[in-house]
Amino acid sequence: MLDAKDKKSLYIGILLAILVLVQWSVGMFLAPVDAMQGQVYRIIFLHVPAAFTAFFSAFMLFIYSILALKSKKDSYQQMCKATAEVGLIFTAITLLTGSIWGRPTWGVWWTWDARLTTTLLLAILYAGYLLLYSSLEPGPGRTKACAILGILISADVPVIYQSVNWWRTLHQPQSMLRKGGATMDPLILWTVVAGILILILFSIWLIVQRKTNIALQDELETKSFQQIK
Amino acid sequence: MKTPNAFAQFRILLANGIKSELSDLERLISPLLFALTILILFAFAVGEVEPDMRIKLFVAEVFLTTFLALQISFSRVFEPARTDKVFDLLRTYPVSYNAWFLAKYVLVVMLGLSVALPTIFIGAIMNGKALANVSIWGIIPVTVLAVAGLSALGVLLAAITMKAQSRQILYPLLYFPMTAPVLLSAIQVSVTYLEKGIFNSDSKAWFLLLASFDVIYVTLGVLLFSELVDDSQ
Repeated sequence: MLDAKDKKSLYIGILLAILVLVQWSVGMFLAPVDAMQGQVYRIIFLHVPAAFTAFFSAFMLFIYSILALKSKKDSYQQMCKATAEVGLIFTAITLLTGSIWGRPTWGVWWTWDARLTTTLLLAILYAGYLLLYSSLEPGPGRTKACAILGILISADVPVIYQSVNWWRTLHQPQSMLRKGGATMDPLILWTVVAGILILILFSIWLIVQRKTNIALQDELETKSFQQIK
Repeated sequence: MKTPNAFAQFRILLANGIKSELSDLERLISPLLFALTILILFAFAVGEVEPDMRIKLFVAEVFLTTFLALQISFSRVFEPARTDKVFDLLRTYPVSYNAWFLAKYVLVVMLGLSVALPTIFIGAIMNGKALANVSIWGIIPVTVLAVAGLSALGVLLAAITMKAQSRQILYPLLYFPMTAPVLLSAIQVSVTYLEKGIFNSDSKAWFLLLASFDVIYVTLGVLLFSELVDDSQ
């Protein structure tokens, strides 16, 4: 049986999922065709919000890692783990959609472009964080080690964000947050901006849900250990 | 007995580290042999190339050798501490954690430079034709900065992963991606300098990025190492 809190959370999740679908539909059917790329550009309505959400997860990981390091509370550590998992999912979506877009545009599924490489590095770091978490014994030592790693990972994000400006490679330069304003059609621009906001909210919802699961998992493990003893 | 101050502790810990590194001749000449091996392997693998490509290869040789040598140094500085439980024992003493980190850090920097500097000079002799018009001394400060950044990050990560079960997989998985800003900026500055013979505005920007990441990693290392080893918290 769902209690009132679970029901509320479920409704919020459904609402956010509907908003994601609406934003995709606007991007797919209402936004104009790109003069240069044709229909293939429409993948940006998923790709760009996913990329921003992956960065946002790194920012959340940074904040919760500092809180975990300061207070040593389990709940912050659980938030960190949930954030890394969600961050890894969105980084994988970014890489996957980028690859799908790259095939017709650049002629290859993958190239060692600066933005692609640095985004792949972020995915590896998220995976590394989760691997470190699972390979350390529970306790204050794990909380501290993972929190420190979380802080280090966030130092990599500015490099990924700036990579297209620093290295002039295949990936196009920033077309939204740039000097002189965005270079996109207003409908495309606002659909992408809305997509970023919606997906970030959706990721927060996912993180909170996953954190609750991790807390329950930890509680069950502790109780089963106590019963064995 | 009076506890020595943090600087004295740093000196003692560093001196002990150096002493154990210099304990046998093998350890002394191994960096030189390592550098030579990489340079010869590169020369065999690549063969004859254009002079401008030779400059890029020379830079790749220098930083790849340094990078790999540092991997050995990281495992060396923490391996005895891990296997002989010195790490756990040492943190029960009133040791300054900053002094402890800095001693490990300076030792790794020294080990890294003991490989990087011979590589630069031997590599310069081996690639003499391509580097004839440029002073090789210009890339030494870049190498020192690169080693400084890579070492701070490495020491901190080695301490983080010391007790992890899958340490051998985990360490490269975490270390390699995080070194990207330091390695890339060091390579960019070096290539630009060796091609043009001067530090232009482009290479100054890269130099700034390299120095910034050095500051970030050393500061984080000093701040976070104490958090990691302090058992009282």
